[in-house]
Amino acid sequence: MTALLETRGVWQRFGGLVANSDVSISVGRGEIVGLIGPNGAGKSTLFNLIAGVLPPTQGSILFDGEDVTHMPAAERCQRGVGRTFQVVKSFETMTVIDNVIVGALVRNTVMREARRKAHEVLEFTGLAARADVLASDLVPAEKRRLEVARALATEPKLLLLDEVLTGLTPTEAQTGVALVRKVRDAGITVLMVEHVMEIVMPLVDRAIVLDLGKVLVEGKPADVVRDPKVISAYLGDRHAVGA
Amino acid sequence: MDKDFAARRRRDLIIAAVLAVIAALTPLFVKDVVVQNILILTLMYAGLSQSWNILSGYCGQISLGHALYFGLGAYTTELLFTKFGVLPWFGMLAGGVVSALIAMGLGYPFFRLRGHYFVIATIVIAEIGLLLFHNWEWAGAAMGITIPIRGDSWLKFQFLRTKLPYFYFALALCCLAWFVTWWLENSKWGFWWRAVKDNPEAAESLGVDVFNSKMGAAAVSAFLVAVGGSFYAQFVSYIDPESVMGFQFSLLMALPAVLGGIGTLWGPVLGAAILIPLTELTRFKFGGSGRGVDLIVYGTLIVLISLALPRGLLSLFSRPKKTGAAR
Repeated sequence: MTALLETRGVWQRFGGLVANSDVSISVGRGEIVGLIGPNGAGKSTLFNLIAGVLPPTQGSILFDGEDVTHMPAAERCQRGVGRTFQVVKSFETMTVIDNVIVGALVRNTVMREARRKAHEVLEFTGLAARADVLASDLVPAEKRRLEVARALATEPKLLLLDEVLTGLTPTEAQTGVALVRKVRDAGITVLMVEHVMEIVMPLVDRAIVLDLGKVLVEGKPADVVRDPKVISAYLGDRHAVGA
Repeated sequence: MDKDFAARRRRDLIIAAVLAVIAALTPLFVKDVVVQNILILTLMYAGLSQSWNILSGYCGQISLGHALYFGLGAYTTELLFTKFGVLPWFGMLAGGVVSALIAMGLGYPFFRLRGHYFVIATIVIAEIGLLLFHNWEWAGAAMGITIPIRGDSWLKFQFLRTKLPYFYFALALCCLAWFVTWWLENSKWGFWWRAVKDNPEAAESLGVDVFNSKMGAAAVSAFLVAVGGSFYAQFVSYIDPESVMGFQFSLLMALPAVLGGIGTLWGPVLGAAILIPLTELTRFKFGGSGRGVDLIVYGTLIVLISLALPRGLLSLFSRPKKTGAAR
């Protein structure tokens, strides 16, 4: 089985700063993969390269067997890449349902069908009761959820989640975790950038740890958290010695 | 939920139909030519502002250069008529197409600009257009074009004895612009435009073709405004650069929408219904040149609105929360 997503020797430089150096990762169909790492590890950069916000300085990105390295974000969405934003970007003057309809229009050209699809997604994500509320009136946790709903409405093969669980209360985070599982059970592959290890580790099938722009370790979450390299990256060398 | 939505759209359509019928009947009661004149201008600016609102309200690309399209509509029609004998009806269509094409041609570089830079570009381009027409001998330069009057005729769309045909045309234009907005509001384009206005980056991630959304909005908007310009040229039967491409037209398209509620279905109509009679009356009361007092009125209104009701007068009517977009 070929991977759904693959990056091959991806580099990204911003002036003198190397945000990603020679990153090669792959995400298989149906997996939940966590992309983790300390602050400044290059997670968000890699994420944006995969979503198509900007092309990498060097290297290539393959999605579903196709080279998408230089494909703009909107086209990648049509190919089946859905994403959320770390800093939520709701359409603030539009209602929740209208926000989701924008996403649903990618695969539904008839308005009635797009609207039906959007309702379906709101039901799925537990936002149905808030359908007619302005996005600007949602509480932060709901806004995160709206990001996910909007992306799901585009019927992605791969869903990219950028810190959707960060900054939530424990209860909210648990509902979020349940939603991510539900998404995967619906047959959608998930690649998630996360900060909070204890939430993300039980959730993912595989974790990829970035540090200083490079892939440090990748493997099963249980192994990754015990890896001395990971501990030293997060906590400093002193703590790694005893591990 | 879907039923609510469908019901709301039907309600809008019914209200519009009722208003249109009432408007169509007013000439039965209003015989005064000055008042008829004000009604015609009000309807025309309502239609223009509604068209402006498509690009600037829905799609969020604030243009203060729509006078260019207004003037292009007027000039295309009258040049075709006086130089080649093409009937104004065809000239009107030609003007619309020319304007839409130019809007897209200008959009190509300018839609890469954001926010204030875009606004400045639109102002500058309209001024350049004005200067070009000032110096274009074949198009009458600063002298302008006088439309030869050959008596009342629907074919040539000119009337001396009555203003009623102009009134009904202005009403039709206003209804058309409203209906186009109503129809587009619940289409892929309408959703794309609002998404582009609110957050282009998020829109892109959801498969929205941001650039072409703007181009589409610009084309529709410019087309309708140009038809308005053609109409105005026939209505006043004399055009020169200042009188059809001056900056005041750009303002008079933007202000009603801003006053009533920018990016809303009813805002431009409401705004025009208040603003245009008000300015025409002040012009009437405070003397011929008028340039001063009506501008003071606009300015004061805009300051008041932006301080007290930044989403326009319509926000007074919108039920909080439930309905979403102010309407």
